Amino acid sequence: MARALWTGSLSFGLVNVPVQLVSAVRDLDLHFRQIHAKDDTPVETRRVCSKEGKEVPYEEIGNEYDGVVVTDEELSAADPAKTRTIDIESFVKLEEIDPIYYDHPYYLVPAGETDGTVRAYRLLAGVMEQSGRVALGRFVLRTKEYLVAIRVREKALTLSTLRFADEVRDTKGIPGAGGRTKPSEVKEAVKLIEALSGDWDPTAYEDEYRKRLQAIVRRKRKGGEIKQPETDPERTQPVPDLMKALEESLALHG
Amino acid sequence: MASGPRSLWNGTLTFGLVNVPVKVFTAQQSESIHFHQVHLADEARIEHRKVCPKEDKEVPSDEIVKGYELSDGGIVVLAKEEIAAAAGENAKLIDVETFVPDEQIDPIYYDKTYYLGAGEDGEPAFRLLRKALEQTGRVAIGRWVFHDRERLVAVKPLDGVLAMHVMHFHDEVVSPGDLDLPSPQKNPTDRELQMAGKLVKSLQAKFEPHRYKDTYREAVLAVIERKRSGEQIEAPEPEPAEEPEDLMKALEASLG
Repeated sequence: MARALWTGSLSFGLVNVPVQLVSAVRDLDLHFRQIHAKDDTPVETRRVCSKEGKEVPYEEIGNEYDGVVVTDEELSAADPAKTRTIDIESFVKLEEIDPIYYDHPYYLVPAGETDGTVRAYRLLAGVMEQSGRVALGRFVLRTKEYLVAIRVREKALTLSTLRFADEVRDTKGIPGAGGRTKPSEVKEAVKLIEALSGDWDPTAYEDEYRKRLQAIVRRKRKGGEIKQPETDPERTQPVPDLMKALEESLALHG
Repeated sequence: MASGPRSLWNGTLTFGLVNVPVKVFTAQQSESIHFHQVHLADEARIEHRKVCPKEDKEVPSDEIVKGYELSDGGIVVLAKEEIAAAAGENAKLIDVETFVPDEQIDPIYYDKTYYLGAGEDGEPAFRLLRKALEQTGRVAIGRWVFHDRERLVAVKPLDGVLAMHVMHFHDEVVSPGDLDLPSPQKNPTDRELQMAGKLVKSLQAKFEPHRYKDTYREAVLAVIERKRSGEQIEAPEPEPAEEPEDLMKALEASLG
């Protein structure tokens, strides 16, 4: 199973469920390394003291803010309760949470397999499934506090970290806000959207970029040449006549 | 020029034969405290240096290239343009493939969010797309190549502009079956579920994002101030997570 990123307790009223946090996504990207071109050697990043010019082991590193140095241990004194416990504060409706608040998805799994822990976990998952609601709580992960939304997905508790409201930017200054539209164009655009509509099926989308990159690595390894694909200029130019483009699209997809 | 937010990416969103010039803007910002790493012994800043282990010397950035490490330890070096070739024909496109009902997307897919604004000469087409999306209640699903990665995106109207939610591909999402969740010897009883249901009801609320503030930030600043005044900061002893002994008792006590 995936590595636990955090271990603590999920508290619901006076019921405490020992849990571990694991990521709900796996990294499938191709990772490149930085290579020293001269000798084809992967470059290492070293943490070096700017005064001594020597490498510093991780235990000897502190955190400086505004002229004050604190260690990781001292930081854990900031809010020990939130560092160890996710306290469920309320239950809200899923549709009330705009997706702009979502940050990263995780799963919560029982910490340990003792019957008390597993039953409490099951109880919480069971009651949340019945209510159809999302549990809101907060906790501290590494050195940041998160608001979290907990839901059930096939008997497993998922946890999504959420952004705080002041971490979401204002849309002020974004070009194209408001303004008028022509009803005849909107009518055609709605028709086109409906013609191109379907159900959400996540399995219909594969990461084509990843596959192309793998192919490029293979070709390069065999000494092949990598060609730059051309961009179709017709797809990147603004269309001079929106109505005409809509009608032609509808003829194609309608 | 008027100072507005700066765009991260300029390109075209296409659906059918309609091209919408767009710009991408950040929608999220971090408000947490940013620390500098220092060496505890002399409080000097830590620098991250790139070193070639063969020569044991710092490597200037113009001598660094990108390479892919093969399973046999061999390295395939790729130039920037060769990596960029993986974007295919879509380097400057947000290619919308379909439109789906908003509520069908499981939030587990959501990653970061950006705002989309109109690009040059793109206002009429941008407004049209936004208006039509508002009327249909659908979100546009497309692909977007950014920073050497392709991302699946969901575009929907928000606050007069468009929000673009980056999503994970399905094979990146861990399925609950992979978690190997243990089963209890005895499932929770109906009575326990009923009591827990009452507790959920008593905690029902409306989601009001502005009610939640990051209080940890202040707590960290307080620790820093205590340290500044020379106080000794005691790190708390970690307590093992307590296992519930009697579920029914805990539920009853919670309901008071």
